[in-house]
Amino acid sequence: MDSGTGVVDGADTARGSVVIVDCGDSAVVAKAVGMDAERAWRTVHALADAFGAVRLDGVHGLVPTYDSLLVEFDCADTDHDTVRRVLRHEADRLGEGPVTPPATRRFVVPVVYGGEFGPDLPVVADQLGLREREVVDLHSAADLTVRCLGAPAGAPMMDGPAFPRPVPRLSSPRTRVLPGSVAVAGRQAVICPMPSPGGWPLLGRTPLRVLEDLDADPLTAYRPGDTFRFVPITPEQWDDHAGRSLAVSHG
Amino acid sequence: MADTLNILRAGMATVQDLGRFGRSRYGLPVNGALDQHSARVANVLCGNDEGAPLLEITALDFSCTPSTDVLVAVTGAPADLTVDGVVRPQWEPFSVRSGETIRIGGIRSGIRVYLGVLGSFNTPYLQGSCAPDTILGFGRSLRDGDELGLQRHCPPVDHPEYRIPLFRLRAPVPRLPTPWTIDVTDGPDLAEFGDTADRLFRSEFTVSPQSNHIGLRMAGDVPRRVATGEVLSRGVPVGAVEVPAGNELLVLHRGRGVTAGYPVLAVVTATGLSSLGQVGPGQTVRFRRRTVAEAVAAHRSQRNAVHALQNRVRTVFDALRIPSSPARTVPVSP
Repeated sequence: MDSGTGVVDGADTARGSVVIVDCGDSAVVAKAVGMDAERAWRTVHALADAFGAVRLDGVHGLVPTYDSLLVEFDCADTDHDTVRRVLRHEADRLGEGPVTPPATRRFVVPVVYGGEFGPDLPVVADQLGLREREVVDLHSAADLTVRCLGAPAGAPMMDGPAFPRPVPRLSSPRTRVLPGSVAVAGRQAVICPMPSPGGWPLLGRTPLRVLEDLDADPLTAYRPGDTFRFVPITPEQWDDHAGRSLAVSHG
Repeated sequence: MADTLNILRAGMATVQDLGRFGRSRYGLPVNGALDQHSARVANVLCGNDEGAPLLEITALDFSCTPSTDVLVAVTGAPADLTVDGVVRPQWEPFSVRSGETIRIGGIRSGIRVYLGVLGSFNTPYLQGSCAPDTILGFGRSLRDGDELGLQRHCPPVDHPEYRIPLFRLRAPVPRLPTPWTIDVTDGPDLAEFGDTADRLFRSEFTVSPQSNHIGLRMAGDVPRRVATGEVLSRGVPVGAVEVPAGNELLVLHRGRGVTAGYPVLAVVTATGLSSLGQVGPGQTVRFRRRTVAEAVAAHRSQRNAVHALQNRVRTVFDALRIPSSPARTVPVSP
């Protein structure tokens, strides 16, 4: 058993490496280093899939994000050495070949921008030195890739649109953000699936139901790698889409 | 009509289990009983699986009445525990007859008490767990007048007149020291705090009222991050000790969002998290540095003690012909 977090094991390859470090007595982190952001992201998600398929006893959580994979376990039912060894093995296997992106789906998401639907649109336009129309055009101009699912509850964390600079967070977070709210912060974009507090500026809101069934397995219709395309609609068109499921809105 | 546990005075109580495992990839926090050790022991003492649904009672006085004879165990923080006015022991099972009132009051030293019932409750499940999730809007605090469906009844196993406690099962009762000593291991981003990291161990920290199942905020001489630059959002474990801003530490607990963008200075150990689940606002905490190996050994020792208790309970219950609870399968694989 490793005695502390100072222990780092990594295997260098020409295409970067995966470094594994302890993260307390019940988790380890595998981090992709020395590779570009796209490959790092593909690597940690492919590693999560491969490691998850092993179904190691005692492991109860996998959180792949941008360049890291958190593995949570009960250290009475397994141990750091076993988890590290299996991660190492799977990482080495991935390192042998190209990391192929999984088959992806594209979701088309109607959004009412501005007004009561996106109260922060004027502020964001101001911060970016753009007109509101230009912010909407940029936000809806390209397919945005889902990188991971995060809080709250299955929120799709996407690469942000091609804004000229990062968008600051709100200085004072809202205590309640409505479900379907479409928000941006930094260089990221997100849809809030559930009512929750939130500190990201809101650009608009989709009438689609983001989560179909809270007991569904998997919880979300989308997964990392899928893309979202936002399409501006008028407030009058809200009812045409209201209550429709995002799950069937792909094309 | 089905038998129920009738809640007379709900205070601040919820139906809990050990958590919603295997869903963090979908952005769901694990949640579940904040003092996992006390929750496991309460269930084991009344013959249940460790992860069966039970009541988590926080800080305020609580009372309830079963509509049938039941076997109950109460663990967690010290409290005044009575059945129809007669004192009952915590950390041992006891019989409650139909119509008698269980009262739990004066919760002290810690803030959470766990009440398990042989056979457990009929309760809704979502994503493999009955633990409340405030974001999903699932589960809620109990209210006065609620009726929880009971899965089993259990004929009284104590003396009909004298009600002398029957059991001496010697459950592993954790110490509740003042100030609290919470074990941590080094976090993955320790180096980003330079020479200031040591402050975590030099002085006490006071838990703020803005603390809950998501995390505990603590004031004190907080370490400072000396590195600069943004931290990319990544998965952070339950127990992560962060310094978001200002003069507060943030220690993440079981309701935490699975990703965060702050550097992780230290990680509270598995046994430390159960202790932290008992720490209330205004109480002081001292952190103690442990190696991962020491932390793992402590957790295994605590879990082994619960398994040993489970064996003693089985032996005693078999001898008394107390029907043991059916096993409930809790999916744990991601």
